[in-house]
Amino acid sequence: MSGTANVNDLALKAGDGPSWAMVRTHFDIQSFGVNAYVAEEPGIRIVAEHDELGEREGGHEELYFVSHGRATFTVNGDEIDAPAGTFVFVRDPAAKRTAIASEVGTTILVAGGKPGEAFSPSPWEHNAQGLVHFANEDYDKAAETYEQFLTEQPGDAGFLYNLACAESLLGRKDSALKHLRESVEAEERFKESAVGDPDFDAIRDDPEFLAITGQTDTGGAGS
Amino acid sequence: MTEKAYEVVHLDELDRFPVDDEGLLWRPVRRRLGITAFGTNAYTAEQGTERVVEEHREQDGHEELYFVASGRATFVLGEEEVDAPAGTFVHAEPGTKRGAVATEPGTTVLAIGAKPGVPHEISAWEEVFVAFSYYRSGDEAKAREHLKWFVAEHDDAWQGHYNLACLESLTKNREGAIKELTRAIELDPAAKEYAVKDEDFDWLRDDPEFPA
Repeated sequence: MSGTANVNDLALKAGDGPSWAMVRTHFDIQSFGVNAYVAEEPGIRIVAEHDELGEREGGHEELYFVSHGRATFTVNGDEIDAPAGTFVFVRDPAAKRTAIASEVGTTILVAGGKPGEAFSPSPWEHNAQGLVHFANEDYDKAAETYEQFLTEQPGDAGFLYNLACAESLLGRKDSALKHLRESVEAEERFKESAVGDPDFDAIRDDPEFLAITGQTDTGGAGS
Repeated sequence: MTEKAYEVVHLDELDRFPVDDEGLLWRPVRRRLGITAFGTNAYTAEQGTERVVEEHREQDGHEELYFVASGRATFVLGEEEVDAPAGTFVHAEPGTKRGAVATEPGTTVLAIGAKPGVPHEISAWEEVFVAFSYYRSGDEAKAREHLKWFVAEHDDAWQGHYNLACLESLTKNREGAIKELTRAIELDPAAKEYAVKDEDFDWLRDDPEFPA
């Protein structure tokens, strides 16, 4: 459908990271990936560190465009100062890339696709449908969405993690701990994510949470 | 030669190709960075009255997303007129008429496009724009050289032959124009429909050998 929208109206706050405008899904674009990120304050990691090789990634070449503000990119260890108007094109799917906003309101547009192949959305975008509910603070709906995703992709560590977040926010301690444990067992990186994630504030002091996240010597996941 | 893992360029460093009479200034992004998965270009208006998106429908099935990176523009989208300040996205399906004119100095519009369901192919018009930008700047020889290079590289693309025919016609080379237009029509009969309406060929239209 043809149409228009402003980046700031599309941008949804999710956790303590940047606001995320899901541009591709908003317009139902079918031929390339496109999203935008807005950092409300300096110091926010506006592009999460990643490469495009993981199971949840699309193997895309990616074009970043700083439309407002300023950011410091790091690509394969090289630091790049990127004021408004800078394009950073990461051709190699294996290149590690990230960016930190250095000005209020820094806005970065990112477009991606896989050379030589018809476009299909990156698996991680599936997450977007659930994250909208977090942004709207509708945690019941978020939990329901991730439960549904897990029936389609049982054992997916990211979906388990987000389900645990929703359950923690809803005060469902036992199921939050169960799903967080399953998530960390599937992918250890979620251990570190959980330690700094305010969604788990309600269960942070629970001995089982400390065990799952490796903050005690009493055993638990990964030990 | 191995390709670099990444490239960085600032908008100010991009080429500037003037491509029409309404001030449309094409700033190739895809071409500069070697992007192959989708098309990307920027258009800038320094005065704030110039065209920033050519009024057109996409003939090759591309869907396009425009983003007003700075300044402000008035878009036409289908039958609607849309005021688009910085930060506005405008999405256009292939068949939808679209175009935009800047309304503030220093306006930049970014365009991203590709065709759903197929691997991206680099649009032939990019090199045609380059050639006609040379022609507009008064360098006829460089324009011809560029189009001849493109045609040699992509002999099966009707667009190259068609636009070389236009250039030959504009520079009053009758034989060259007829030869190239004939080849374009052989490759795609749609070229004939364009030629019938194309003012570039007006002086040749009554020639018995004119193929359209």
